[in-house]
Amino acid sequence: MSETLSSPLSPAAGDGPAAPAPLTLSMQGALNRALGEVLEDNPKALIFGEDVGRLGGVFRITDGLQARFGAERVFDTPLAESGILGMSVGLAMAGFHPIPEVQFDGFAYPAVNQIVSQIGRMNYRSRGALPMPVTLRVPSFGGIRAPELHGESLESLFVHVPGLKVVSPADPHQAYHLLRLAGSMPDPVIFMEPKARYWQKGPVDPADAGALEGARIARPGRHLTLIAWGAMVARCLQVAELAAEDGIEVEVLDLRWLSPIDADGLAESVSRTRRAVVVHEAPRSSGLGAEIAALVTERCFNTLKAPVERVTGFDVPYPSGDLEDEYIPNIDRILFGIQRVLEHRRG
Amino acid sequence: MAELSFPLPDLGEGLIEATILEWLVAEGDQVERNQPLVEVETTKSAVELPSPQAGTVMKVHGEAGSVIAVGDPLIVFEVPDDTAGIVGTVPAEKAPARRVRLSAVLDDD
Repeated sequence: MSETLSSPLSPAAGDGPAAPAPLTLSMQGALNRALGEVLEDNPKALIFGEDVGRLGGVFRITDGLQARFGAERVFDTPLAESGILGMSVGLAMAGFHPIPEVQFDGFAYPAVNQIVSQIGRMNYRSRGALPMPVTLRVPSFGGIRAPELHGESLESLFVHVPGLKVVSPADPHQAYHLLRLAGSMPDPVIFMEPKARYWQKGPVDPADAGALEGARIARPGRHLTLIAWGAMVARCLQVAELAAEDGIEVEVLDLRWLSPIDADGLAESVSRTRRAVVVHEAPRSSGLGAEIAALVTERCFNTLKAPVERVTGFDVPYPSGDLEDEYIPNIDRILFGIQRVLEHRRG
Repeated sequence: MAELSFPLPDLGEGLIEATILEWLVAEGDQVERNQPLVEVETTKSAVELPSPQAGTVMKVHGEAGSVIAVGDPLIVFEVPDDTAGIVGTVPAEKAPARRVRLSAVLDDD
C-alpha cells in the first residue's frame, strides 16, 4: 500500500513554496488543522456528527470548521450513530467523502450494522463499483475519568471486519499526517484517536510526513521490542527510559496501522531483539495482542528467547474513572512483563 | 485561553424560551462544573441551570426579567486551552514513577 500512502503527502522537491517551519501543536490542534486541509483539498469531503458543527466537537477537534466551510459541509446530526453511519454509506455511494465522528468509542455500538454490513463490504459487494471512502473518527481508549462507554478499546472488533482499515496515531505529528492521509484514501478507515493524548503538545512538521505506511520505530533498542499503539506508545516510551536505567535497551514499535497489520515490521524488529511484549488497553482475551503474539511466533519462532508477553486491560467492562489507573497497563505492570520475558529460560 | 459560549438549552419538551429570574454568578466569577449558574422560569417550571463546565464567566446574557430564546447565547466562559471537553478531565502529566526494577543476565549479548 506504500504507493497510495505516500502520494498525497510527499512534498514536491525543489521549486515549490518554502516549506513551513515545524509547529508545536496539541493533538487536538493537529487533527483540527488536518481536517481543515482535507476539506480545502476535497470539495466532496463532509464532516458531520454529534456537536461537531456549532460547538466544534466535545473535544474541540472540529472547532471553527463550520464557520470556515459552512453548515452544508460541517454539520450537526441527531444523536443516532446508526443514522450518522447510514448516511455515510449513501453519501459515499453518491460520490462524497464523508468524515463522520462518533463522539465516543462506546457510541459506535449502535452503528456496528452500518460499519460491518455496509461500509466494510460495499466495495467488495459491488465489485469495485461502489467504493466507500469513509473516514470515521472515533475518540478512543480510556484515561480521562469519563463515564461508562467513554473509554472502550474497539480495535479488535474493527480489525476483525474485512474491508476496513484501522489506524491509531500516537502523537500530534502522526495524528496530523495520518488523518490527512486517511481523509484522502478511497477506502473506509476507522481513525482511533487516543483521547488521553489530545492535550499534550508536540512538534508537527507539515512539510515532512516521514513514512506513513506500516509500523514505526518510536525508539530503537536491542534487547526487547515493546509493541503498542495509541496512548500506550507514550507510556511505553517512558518505560523504555526507565528500563535503560537498568541496562535494558527497549525498542518501542508504534504499530499505527492495526489493519492491515504490519507483520513484516513486527518481524523485522523482533528478529533483531528476540524478545517481545505487547501492550494494549483492550481486554486480554482475543485482544489484538493475541494476533500479534501469533504473527511474531510464526515469523520469529526460531530466534525468540521467550514467549511473547501480553500486558493488557482485563476481561471486564471498562471500569469507572477512579479504577481506570488499575485497569490500563501502568508502568510497573509493563516492567513486570518485560522482567518475565527477560527471566525466561528454555528447557 | 479560549471562549466557549453556552446557549440556552431546551429545558423541556419543545420549549422555545425562558425568563431569567436571577443570575447566581457574575461576570469575572470562577465557576465549577455543575455549579448553579442561573435560575430561569419556563412555561413549565422554574429551574436552576448547572454549569456545563468549569471556567471564568466572561459574559452573561440578559438580566432578571429578560426572555431568552432556546439556542440563543446564555453565558460565555473563558477556559484554558487545555481544558477537557464536556466529558472527562485532562490527564495529569506526571514524572514516571516505578517500583519494579529489571534484573537480567543477558546471555546472548
